[in-house]
Amino acid sequence: MAKPPKGDIESLVRQFDSSDWTELHVKTNDFEVYLSTNPNSSKPGGQDDAVAPVNASVSFSNVGSKVESVDVVKLKTESARSVVPEGMVGVTAPNLGTFYSAPKPGAAPYVSVGDRVTADTEVCLIEVMKLFTPVRSGIDGVIKEICVADAEMIEYQQLLVIIDPA
Amino acid sequence: MIKRVLIANRGEIAVRIIRAAHSLGIEVVQAVSDADRDTMAADLADRVVVIGPASARDSYLNSDLVIHAAKVTGCDALHPGYGFLSERAKLAQGCEDEGIIFVGPRAQVIDDLGDKLRARAIAEKAGIPLVPGSGHVRTVSEARVAAEALGLPVVMKASAGGGGRGMFVAREIDAIDEFFDRASNEALEAFGDGTLYLERYIENARHVEVQIAGDGKGNAIHFGERDCSVQRRYQKVVEEAPCVLMSDTLRKSLHDAAVKLVSSLSYLNVGTVEFLFDVERDAFYFIEVNTRIQVEHTVTEQITGIDLVQLQFRIAGQEPHSLPSQSAITINRHAIECRLNAEDPFNNFMPSPGVIQHWCAPSGAGVRVDSHCRDGYLVPPYYDSMIGKLVITANDRDSAVQRLSAALEDFKIEGLVTNIPLLRAIVDHKDFRDNSFNTKWLEQSMLPEFEQIQKEE
Repeated sequence: MAKPPKGDIESLVRQFDSSDWTELHVKTNDFEVYLSTNPNSSKPGGQDDAVAPVNASVSFSNVGSKVESVDVVKLKTESARSVVPEGMVGVTAPNLGTFYSAPKPGAAPYVSVGDRVTADTEVCLIEVMKLFTPVRSGIDGVIKEICVADAEMIEYQQLLVIIDPA
Repeated sequence: MIKRVLIANRGEIAVRIIRAAHSLGIEVVQAVSDADRDTMAADLADRVVVIGPASARDSYLNSDLVIHAAKVTGCDALHPGYGFLSERAKLAQGCEDEGIIFVGPRAQVIDDLGDKLRARAIAEKAGIPLVPGSGHVRTVSEARVAAEALGLPVVMKASAGGGGRGMFVAREIDAIDEFFDRASNEALEAFGDGTLYLERYIENARHVEVQIAGDGKGNAIHFGERDCSVQRRYQKVVEEAPCVLMSDTLRKSLHDAAVKLVSSLSYLNVGTVEFLFDVERDAFYFIEVNTRIQVEHTVTEQITGIDLVQLQFRIAGQEPHSLPSQSAITINRHAIECRLNAEDPFNNFMPSPGVIQHWCAPSGAGVRVDSHCRDGYLVPPYYDSMIGKLVITANDRDSAVQRLSAALEDFKIEGLVTNIPLLRAIVDHKDFRDNSFNTKWLEQSMLPEFEQIQKEE
């Protein structure tokens, strides 16, 4: 898949930000961009897509009014997923649970920003009904960000830790 | 009084429960799988939590996950809907241990009634008639002895099961040898328990069931009966209330039996006592108790005017006088429900998930559609294929059938294959109009005819 010029995407994002659209899906032969004001929203799957792929043209779909979508966002912010910066790797939650950054209260955290980790390094614990499951880094690198506070609820696929594989 | 409920279910029943909760001022946290983020239930709920991946085993079927989700979102109650974890004693017990109100019966009662043999023993003790049956049979020879004692034909059933799995009819004694291992293996695979038992088989049976509710203190009432005899592979397809075929005398003793049974257990919340109605003998036999709200609760709501899901919340929240008195339940009119499935009746009922391009449901007086579908909705391939329920209410059965036929004709669903053509053929069939069918009619008589007509066209 060929990458579109960077400036084009930035310009699209700016236009989207200043518009009252809640969703923007651009699909050409070479690339696809999906923007949404709803943090619960995920990229639509191929057949779910109401926008037909047109040769290098841009299509917009406006779903609902702005006011409605803002309310929805407010109520549901907790399911927001952060974005992994380009070149970085995110560790995500395998299921809903409670996030713990340390093996027990008061103990040193598993990892801190700047720590070097290997794929086997435990980065946190997830608790479901008193059952604690360690989550491993899955990749060698350096911890760039820990995205969740200790003892916070996390949802399936929520971003927990960002790792720089450099 | 319940303040906030977690709904551990999906599809039309999640939507149905959210609406009932909101009408009582109860806040809703909707637990969804990854595949159900963009659904009507998620939009209607006050808050949505994604508990796990699309696979039900790692989301809707994980009781620890749903209880944890209820806890961390500050819910004081959990509604299990139907299917999934609704009849797992473990979920009810887990809620109780965590101080969360389970909207359903107590764990012990779910456990007792979930085991079919224990349920039979409870019914027997309460004096409810049973289909003559055996105890556990562990070997082919034990099964042969039991079958000869009961008289053929007999049906082999899984002790731990339901939904038709591990179930075989033997019309001659040699069939026992043939089916025993298969039935046992199926039971083992489906329920983790290969134990079987045998029952006498009734040739001309209607499936009737009584909707009940109890306050947990020994008081129970009924909401009349439903007739769910149009079935395929033990799955209900069309359900109606009342069962007009039944005499008033038999009907009264049917209701009394159901109430007596659940009273003996100090049953809490709503449930359904299922019976076989032996039309020739003018008798009924206990089958089992379903300890949850059922898909077909709608037809009972239509003829009684009672919102059963609201009632579930009121009883679970221990509201004073939440259980109506029996005399307050009056039954009039006739209601019929059709289950709409995304499946192909012309291709061996193959599930047909996909995007609903256009959803246009019928409406008007006496027409009720319970569904989670809308334009653009993707029916995911991971769960059961039911996409909605069409419920028609009229003064009597004949007018209900007539309106149902017209409503099915008006129902337009574009983008995927549905069973509407089959539903129309059922409703327009002479046997259905004449109310002359039994639990085997659809599979043994109607469907072969339907397939023949398709071939000829």
